[in-house]
Amino acid sequence: MSNPDLLVVWIGAICTLAVYSILYRENPVFRFFEHLFVGLATGYSVQTVISQILVPQWGKPLVVEGKWYWIFALLVGAMFYFVYSKRQVWIARWAMGLFIGFGAGLGIVGFVTEFVPQITASFKPIVEFSTGRLGFNNLLIFLTLIAVMSYFFFSLEHKNRALSGSAQAGRWLLMIAFGAIFGNTVMARVSLFIDRMQFLLFDWLKLPHPH
Amino acid sequence: MSERKIVFYTRRAIFLLTAVVVAIPLLVKIEMPVVVGWPARNLYEAVERVPPDKIVVVSISWSAGSKGETAPQTTALIRHLAKSGKRFAIWSFSDIQGPELAQAIAAPLADEYKRKYGVDWVNWGYKSGAASMMRGWAQDIWGTIKEDRNGTPVAKLPFMQKAHSYKDIGLIIDISAGSLSGTPTFRYYVQFLKGIYNVPVGCACTGVMAAETFPYLDSKQIVGMLRGLAGAAEYEELVGFHGEGIRRMTAQSFAHLFVIALIILGNVGYFLGKRRSAQSPSPQEQQK
Repeated sequence: MSNPDLLVVWIGAICTLAVYSILYRENPVFRFFEHLFVGLATGYSVQTVISQILVPQWGKPLVVEGKWYWIFALLVGAMFYFVYSKRQVWIARWAMGLFIGFGAGLGIVGFVTEFVPQITASFKPIVEFSTGRLGFNNLLIFLTLIAVMSYFFFSLEHKNRALSGSAQAGRWLLMIAFGAIFGNTVMARVSLFIDRMQFLLFDWLKLPHPH
Repeated sequence: MSERKIVFYTRRAIFLLTAVVVAIPLLVKIEMPVVVGWPARNLYEAVERVPPDKIVVVSISWSAGSKGETAPQTTALIRHLAKSGKRFAIWSFSDIQGPELAQAIAAPLADEYKRKYGVDWVNWGYKSGAASMMRGWAQDIWGTIKEDRNGTPVAKLPFMQKAHSYKDIGLIIDISAGSLSGTPTFRYYVQFLKGIYNVPVGCACTGVMAAETFPYLDSKQIVGMLRGLAGAAEYEELVGFHGEGIRRMTAQSFAHLFVIALIILGNVGYFLGKRRSAQSPSPQEQQK
């Protein structure tokens, strides 16, 4: 390993251990590295926005390729800054209105193309007509849907036996779903920890890799 | 020792024990079997089905913070693409770091399988604009991408001669670790590529996102899915290469067993404590 690589590994290890020091208790070392990360991420983003967006996607067409109409992008962008002026705030509102309208239009398209197929896919037969067999999964989806919806039905007091029973079942089913989501979250967090652990054990401490 | 101190040290002991439990399977050669689920198998088969005249777009929607899960997924997927000779393009519309991190994974794999940059694969870099850009990109890839991450104009890349619009895309795989403007990134492809042009979309997501991604599998809006590190391990099993995914899954399984044991222990302690407090006389009874 070359010297620069070694330095990178050491910096990585110190950063990792500094961040994990919060597990013992809040301390100034953790706070310093926390701020360092925020600063680094912001600096990296600013640099990338300039080098990968502003220069190639706006500056180059405008200056090098002579596409003068790209100047309007700057003008519309600059309109947003009138939000700081009490008298000329209407200029910023025009720009915002333009973008909100644009976003809403795209949003409607996205909603239709995303959710209509899902609604259609949820219309599943409980009994398969071709075979006459009971579709257990579809029945489960149907019962879960009814139970959970009844839990969130607040127009009637849950005194009726059928409604309260269904709402109770809906609550239990929701708990199972939350458990599944939480289980996946635990898996995700442990995965991140394993990644750091591997880095510390094999890249930094250079312990022999058994695999 | 006061109860407060016991709680303080118990919590730290659990953190330390978790580190030990994770470290043991990493240091000792133990490998647990990986059972391949149908969402991973479906994604693998979708990649296999991509015809040679079409490209696969690998969308890198992750950054260093989620590398532990998404890097093994990206490695397994790119290995499959390089091994099977599929032409693929890497890019990101949501994460600035994504294409750079993926470059570090793709370049050595492409070398290993003798795939040439600019011919067999490209890195388009990061492109901003989200939904509006994506709509334009679907119809005119050249006009939207303009140049790759090295600044080479698309016209000079042989790869791009057969990549003009959505018609040339055989599959899009979004390796997703989060959302853009509140919408998980793979849903942009579902909305604007699958929904409008019927381009097949696959997803590799973090464990946290898995539960909310399943409905898209059921509705067939995505062809397949990798769930966190487990998904990476499953894909490695399918590709026939035991890499980081499978290695880390053993440590993952050990950690899960440890968490389950702690949950059982915690509950036993809770109920025993409850029973003890029910049996012992209340302060009022003691005064009497």
